[in-house]
Amino acid sequence: MSTVGCEHFQEFKSNPNNLDTLRWVHSVFVVGSSKDKRTGLNYNYHQTKIMNSFCHTCNNRGPNLHACIDCVFFGCLPHIREHTKEEHHDFSLELTYGQVHCTKCGDYIYDSELDEINKTNRKRSDTFHRRLFECSTWNPTEEEKDLLTLYTQRVCITDKSQIGLRGLVNFRITCYMNSVVQVLMHTPLLRDYFLSERHFCKTDSESCLMCILSNVFQEFYNGDKVPLLLHKLLHFIWTHAPHVGGDVQQDAHEFFIETLGLLHKHCAESINHTSHAVVTNNCSCIIHESFTGSLQSDIVCQKCKGVSTTIEPIWDFALDLVPGALTLVECLKHFTKAELLDNFSMCESCGLPRQVTKQLSIKTLPTVVTFQLKRFKKSDEGHGKVATKIQFTEMLDMTPFMSTKKADSPFPSDNMYSLFAVINHQGETSYAGHYIAYVRQLKDHWYKCNDEVISRVGLDEVLFSEGYILFYHKHVLGYK
Amino acid sequence: MPQEYGDRVSLHLDVNNGLDSVTELVHTRLVESGWKDEVRLACRKAIVESGDRVPTVDELISTITPKARALIREKVKRELLYKIEHILMNLEKVGYKDLEDI
Repeated sequence: MSTVGCEHFQEFKSNPNNLDTLRWVHSVFVVGSSKDKRTGLNYNYHQTKIMNSFCHTCNNRGPNLHACIDCVFFGCLPHIREHTKEEHHDFSLELTYGQVHCTKCGDYIYDSELDEINKTNRKRSDTFHRRLFECSTWNPTEEEKDLLTLYTQRVCITDKSQIGLRGLVNFRITCYMNSVVQVLMHTPLLRDYFLSERHFCKTDSESCLMCILSNVFQEFYNGDKVPLLLHKLLHFIWTHAPHVGGDVQQDAHEFFIETLGLLHKHCAESINHTSHAVVTNNCSCIIHESFTGSLQSDIVCQKCKGVSTTIEPIWDFALDLVPGALTLVECLKHFTKAELLDNFSMCESCGLPRQVTKQLSIKTLPTVVTFQLKRFKKSDEGHGKVATKIQFTEMLDMTPFMSTKKADSPFPSDNMYSLFAVINHQGETSYAGHYIAYVRQLKDHWYKCNDEVISRVGLDEVLFSEGYILFYHKHVLGYK
Repeated sequence: MPQEYGDRVSLHLDVNNGLDSVTELVHTRLVESGWKDEVRLACRKAIVESGDRVPTVDELISTITPKARALIREKVKRELLYKIEHILMNLEKVGYKDLEDI
């Protein structure tokens, strides 16, 4: 199927010289450079573009600059229209996206030949222009056409949409699992991965946690509102990781880490790593891409100041609750503080046992940062809980805790993180009590997920809650 | 800002390729902040509301532009201002080409 522009453009196209002119103007003023395939020569039209790109009527350099195709005239939005009307010139080319305007029709026209010009010219460009990739027509494939005819119902996502929210039935003691699943379902990176069906299973889907989770994602986002039963997942956990399944209340954090481990194992199997070591830091599975960072540990000898550095991968930050630290940032400061070790350690540069300090810092940050506030203390009476209120904020700048600090600049900081989920524990000990999760949905709406009950809450309630596991997502994603 | 002054700024940005990088940045930020989706929705709404006669792109631009401008996040504006300031302040350092040279 090809798009055909107006009759005036068909007439214009019948003269090949006209198309050549259009192609040249597009190449010079829209793209700005061109590489000749045959001669290998590079033409840079930068100067020509700058010298000519201004409105010939008002001398402004934009916005919405157009070039007349019939004569040498450039004009911004009102003036180009005046010009083509007065001079009876038919076509003008918009210089940012390369759209063609027809004077007789009074509107922009879409023609597959224009797409072709855009395509070939942008390929020859010496730099990548994202804007040139946004305005081309979409030709659906046969498969896509089939899908379009099968699924005609349109869903418009607005502030009031409830899509993506599903209550989860509690099998007596599975609230820890429900909370973790709610968080996974609302982790932006995982959601995009699973909903775009990137997991191709090579084993049988009954024994693959990725497939089970993929199904849960489909259930969450299909628009149904009935609370979901996660029997398959529960059965899977029972058979594959009985120590976090069982029939007693479990720790949500242990379950979360165990789930990530299993997901990673199954994901890695399906992307065909022949000799895959679980500990490797360069695994390309989605779990590693999202959750793995690395921690740098510097051991400094107090005598010779020699430093020995080790780097290890990290999935989550377990933060101690120490007296005096009342905010997340203070806990992180404590976490990355230089600490004098009790025992003497062998110093590599002195070759003698010396007193050393150990300091942790973050070498690389994962896209999803998880903080576990260590509220449960092992003691003789079981697992007592520290209920100290730790303040945490919606936005978190991780720059101060990095190993290498970039030059101080007010912004943009690349290490900004935003809160997207919180798991809370209600009760006295880790083996009793109840877990609930707060999740962010649709930019900045917050929902409280208490098993099968989902309710809308304000950000304040989330920030004032006790907080057991905090989930932050990188605010702006870069390209690799 | 007087028209002429704003224009000189944009010419300087153009000469040193700064405009291209700033445009791409703003583009990215507008998509990230959900602005693009909002504008798309506003356009769709305007087309549906206009009834049988489909408005031309020019008409759409003139109705949507004021709304769309108002929808831009304050954060994006601040970052853009900072970026442009940064480029203009560092013109000399990055080997600023004088206009007469080209």
